[in-house]
Amino acid sequence: MKDELAKRLVQGLKDAGINFVTYLPETRLSQILPLLRDDPDIELIGAASEQEAVTIAAGATLGGKQAAVYMENTGIYVSSYSLLTIGKQLGVPILLVVGYLGGVPDQRNSFLYATIGRHTIPTLEGLGIDYMLLNDGERLEINIGDAMRAANAQRAPYALLFAGEFSV
Amino acid sequence: MIRHECLELLAVKITDQLVVTSQSGQRIEWSHLSKHEGNLLVGMMGCGIGVAMGLALALPHRKVIALDSDGSVLLSLFNLATLGNLRPKNLVIYVFDNGVYSGSRISYPTATSGNTDLAGMARSAGIVNAHTIRDIEDFKDRGMEALSRGELAFFVCKVEESLLHREIPRPNTDLAENKYTFVRYLERTEGKTIPFLGRG
Repeated sequence: MKDELAKRLVQGLKDAGINFVTYLPETRLSQILPLLRDDPDIELIGAASEQEAVTIAAGATLGGKQAAVYMENTGIYVSSYSLLTIGKQLGVPILLVVGYLGGVPDQRNSFLYATIGRHTIPTLEGLGIDYMLLNDGERLEINIGDAMRAANAQRAPYALLFAGEFSV
Repeated sequence: MIRHECLELLAVKITDQLVVTSQSGQRIEWSHLSKHEGNLLVGMMGCGIGVAMGLALALPHRKVIALDSDGSVLLSLFNLATLGNLRPKNLVIYVFDNGVYSGSRISYPTATSGNTDLAGMARSAGIVNAHTIRDIEDFKDRGMEALSRGELAFFVCKVEESLLHREIPRPNTDLAENKYTFVRYLERTEGKTIPFLGRG
């Protein structure tokens, strides 16, 4: 991902009101981490598991923060239990910022990732979590804002899947 | 030591603390003992400590208490490493360890009835103030004293298996209702709007 796109992504999160981010690092969007770490308006919390990242973000949301979880799409599988029980059942809005490995638009797709990618969208649909696929920077900030608004309105997690230009 | 007697001691100490429970008999016993609006009765195993951690980080000036069980902590051991590094000073965790999966109704043993020492694991993960409490006097002393200290505390409270929670009426407040009571209480006591509530 070009540095400019990483900066716009982080600014888009801030414009959408995000001020608390939990994460496990991954490869496609990792340039956003130093930007998040150095931003005084964002509290960045590293987690040991995506399931934990979701529960911490949920607690922060209930405590008045606007929270996002940054993860690889494998994290959707790892955190599906807490996404369903805390996110959906309890009804807690969380923005999921997901590096979408192994999908068709993943510019670094290979046999390592294809199975992971093949099942990501069906898994989100199975969990009843709405999502948006972003392949380029067009309307990036608007899309992030729309996703956060939808999460808050639905009182549920909403996933942004980043591939295409974001996965270069 | 019986879990209910520990919860009775804790209930009288609650003023404006936030209390998060995971799923187990302690959720039922706590909801019966305490009608505090700052109770968040998370009804899922393995999620309570994470939610409590998020609350503690979001509201560093509020004391947050997590009530959990051995089975639940074993399901989310990654929390120990994160807690051991973040060390939120306003979080006190009580793990009521009866050594069995009591909710299963066949009470098969958990790992803590064998060789596993949760307090030792917590210390190794970086939680300095992690201890095993084996009797009610120790709970009264060390367990209660932690409420007034500004330090992360993790207590593994060794309790006998008790089926008292099966005789207590289960809470009839559904999860969403409890969540809204909780966040409205926070809005009132924190003097701020919780962003996701929005306007109708």
